[in-house]
Amino acid sequence: MKNRYLVGGPITPLLISEMMTLGNDDVGAGAVSIFIGKVRDDEINGKRVKAIEYSAYNDMAEKEANEIIKTVMMAFSDVRKIFFVHSTGTVRAGEVSLFIMVTAGHRDHATRACRHIIEMLKERLPVWKKELF
Amino acid sequence: MSTTVTVLYFGAAGEIAGKPSEVMEADDTDTLCNRILEKYPAMETVPFRLALNRVLIKEGSPLKENDIIAILPPFKGG
Repeated sequence: MKNRYLVGGPITPLLISEMMTLGNDDVGAGAVSIFIGKVRDDEINGKRVKAIEYSAYNDMAEKEANEIIKTVMMAFSDVRKIFFVHSTGTVRAGEVSLFIMVTAGHRDHATRACRHIIEMLKERLPVWKKELF
Repeated sequence: MSTTVTVLYFGAAGEIAGKPSEVMEADDTDTLCNRILEKYPAMETVPFRLALNRVLIKEGSPLKENDIIAILPPFKGG
């Protein structure tokens, strides 16, 4: 089943630029808040992380992602659109594994909703990671 | 006769089971979890929650034929 919230491999600059054009037709959105999550080259037990391999429960991720969007839209009345995508598969250190974009009428709800989505994704999106050294 | 369900293993649970899924028999989730722990003792080291047909559930839920049970270690996205 194709999942619109998951992408195989890193989220590329091309994909990010494409997603940043989403919602451009909404001229009432005066604020856009974006979060980009990248793989860090952490040192774990003396070994440096070269990449992370992400796996996901696709069907459940789709359902949870839809519910997260619904919840945030209800909590922040000024939010107009929410887009996010998470990587699956291998993402190397320095590459992007999470992209979130929130458009709103004004900056307050755009930034707060974006932060809220990050926390909800970490708590509710059925995604796992394995460090590769 | 026991109920046949499909068990999906994710994250560390998948590594311990050595497979992404398998068919097992159990009439409720407690029985199923006991069977999984008997079969894969190392699963004791992994805290996990259960999803029944993509919905998180509590312990002791009854199972129906062809249900899909997912073994979900703590999520690590982001």
